[in-house]
Amino acid sequence: MSDETVPAAGDSSVLVNGLVSHGDSKTRRVYETARSLHSGAVKDLLSLGVCERCIFRLIAVEAFDSDLSSVSTSTLHSWLESGDDETGSSESNCSRICIVCLGILQFVFSDAAEKKLVKSDTSSDYVARVTDLVKQDLHDFDSFGLEVSVPSTIMDNERAVLSYLKEKYSTEGWLQRDKISVKDALKVLILDPLKASLGAQSDSSSFHIRLTYSEASDEALGVSKTTHESKRRKTDAENGSNCTSENSFEKVYEPCIFSVHCNKMPIFFSGRYFKYSRNVSQSRWIIDDERMGEASVEEILGGNILPACLGDSYKFHAAGREDIDVRMLGSGRPFLIEVQNSRQCPSEQSLKEVEEKINNSEKKLVGVKDLKCIGSQCWAMMREGEAEKQKQYVALVWIARPLEEKDFNSISSLKELKILQKTPVRVLHRRSPLDREKIIHWMNVEKIKGHSHYFLLHLCTQAGTYIKEFVHGDLGRTTPSMGSILGCRAEIIQLDVTDVKMGD
Amino acid sequence: MEEIQKTEVTTNPETEDVIELTKQSVEACDEQQKQQAQEDGEKRDEDEDELRKLLLSDIGELPLIPPSATQINFVSYFITDFTKSGHDQYIYRHANGLCVIGLAPTHIAFKDEGGITNVDFNVGKSDRSVLKVSGKRKKNALRSEPNTALCKVSTAKDTYIVRCCVKGSLLEVNERLIMQPELLNSSADREGYIAIIMPTRPADWTKNKESLITLEEYKEKKEKVQSAETLEPCML
Repeated sequence: MSDETVPAAGDSSVLVNGLVSHGDSKTRRVYETARSLHSGAVKDLLSLGVCERCIFRLIAVEAFDSDLSSVSTSTLHSWLESGDDETGSSESNCSRICIVCLGILQFVFSDAAEKKLVKSDTSSDYVARVTDLVKQDLHDFDSFGLEVSVPSTIMDNERAVLSYLKEKYSTEGWLQRDKISVKDALKVLILDPLKASLGAQSDSSSFHIRLTYSEASDEALGVSKTTHESKRRKTDAENGSNCTSENSFEKVYEPCIFSVHCNKMPIFFSGRYFKYSRNVSQSRWIIDDERMGEASVEEILGGNILPACLGDSYKFHAAGREDIDVRMLGSGRPFLIEVQNSRQCPSEQSLKEVEEKINNSEKKLVGVKDLKCIGSQCWAMMREGEAEKQKQYVALVWIARPLEEKDFNSISSLKELKILQKTPVRVLHRRSPLDREKIIHWMNVEKIKGHSHYFLLHLCTQAGTYIKEFVHGDLGRTTPSMGSILGCRAEIIQLDVTDVKMGD
Repeated sequence: MEEIQKTEVTTNPETEDVIELTKQSVEACDEQQKQQAQEDGEKRDEDEDELRKLLLSDIGELPLIPPSATQINFVSYFITDFTKSGHDQYIYRHANGLCVIGLAPTHIAFKDEGGITNVDFNVGKSDRSVLKVSGKRKKNALRSEPNTALCKVSTAKDTYIVRCCVKGSLLEVNERLIMQPELLNSSADREGYIAIIMPTRPADWTKNKESLITLEEYKEKKEKVQSAETLEPCML
């Protein structure tokens, strides 16, 4: 053992042999822990093919902490070997994939994109790699939550090694301690350097970085074999037989496939939309590969907001809906756009630009106002627009006989009119057959110059009322109806929504 | 709101000026507020005008008699002499697949003096008017074949059986006909509909369709039958 590798107390220079940080108290502590490990167990585990950090994890009494990240793999290895000349050069041992952590704690993996083996001797190389991959995704963040996902066979591997150790070293105290998992060990090793490298805090924030390790290709075979083996090993131990041998660890261990994914929790935008066209549906409507209508409110709004957020996708939620042939005028209908994995939160200015773009578009199909970014209170706002609220409409109605003076009064005198609507035929295929009682709060008739059979009906109704069916009666399944009130056949020509009250 | 200028109060004549100045500022503020309220009111009126313009602008050509809701939303089919001569029925099929079944104007029941006087849904094995179909999946709906009886309609002269004509689930019968059988005489194609059936499979409907005729074909057939009675205007 050369004296060079032993860190002297208070030594702050960068030493040879791979020490990446100052030779300070941290590395000294790790060195001392290394020296204190049960040498027989260390030798056994090294020859089985367990990596240096896993050895620390499994048999050290001291807690596995971030001090370890400052020491390179090769240095750790040389500290553990301690005068064992037969074990050969450190190179060949370091190149074996750990039989427990499959290279994860050795910072060895196969890159998912480039499909080649990547090795880092130190945690800082690894952290630099992860930082690069995160930066490529262009997310804008000041804090992140770190998630690690590892293959399930690691549990089995660890169980196998631990039961081997328990048999051989059953009396040792360090066996009884709870072992930190590979997942948590990796987090402990890299969290602080990663924070420094990304320039961000770590918390359970809305932005997550997920490091995923998955087993190399022919894992299906490997998994079943391992499970089978470990099951066999377990029953053997129960039977008291001693057939756990080093032979059962002789498998070819492949490094894991590694990838980094960044995900931001969805952000929300609220506003009110107007629909000026009678050929635009509220949401994307496609039957048999054919689009119904010319466009949809959902796509016009979402399609313009998404690029401003650099997001992956969007979801549209509205406080109620209207048919494709019904215009949404007046104060507009409240809506929410939920954006998945946005890379940046758009500024007020860019939201204004989105509004202008939609409102000044050539075709004038849809309008929007009050577009803004909104937080978790968005759902409460949507709930407000639901069942209890009132909606106001204007309908163009035709009746079979000419409009008379008395009709104006007979209609406007009806306040809080209760109507009973059977589920309309046009939605009966997908809704429950029920009788729904609704209230028409008030109605007004407005003459149309030059037409005695047509008039504009202004009405305010309870949310959930089918207006078209109230006018034409839906084969008598909505009573009373406009027709039954006026004593003749009535038809609805067109309908506009003029107010969606949200309750101030 | 304009800031009220603070000027130093020194001697009396200047105080007068100050008071004047302050009064003017306050008045200016009031004016501004009134103006704002007026502008708000004007904006509201403007909005309402905008709305009215939009509402009225869309009213294009208004025909004397517009197409009915049934004509717009349903495709009309007919079946004549179903199982018996003169038993003519209509099947109005909605875009969503549902079929409304009823008596066509040439049904022989209408030829009897006094028209239809009674409707009874208690036919076959059960009373069709007591079925309770529930839920989106339409549980407890009676599975019907084209020949399944829906109801019996009676006139002073005779009783006639009305059948489903369509294979599917019986969702609803028009129980109002029990108390108001005269609906069949006045508007058999609207308030006097008999039942609503949901074909269970697209294949069932395609097969069914083969035995039905279109509105055009029905009209031709009717003209051929030299009927002395005038046709119901509601057919058009």
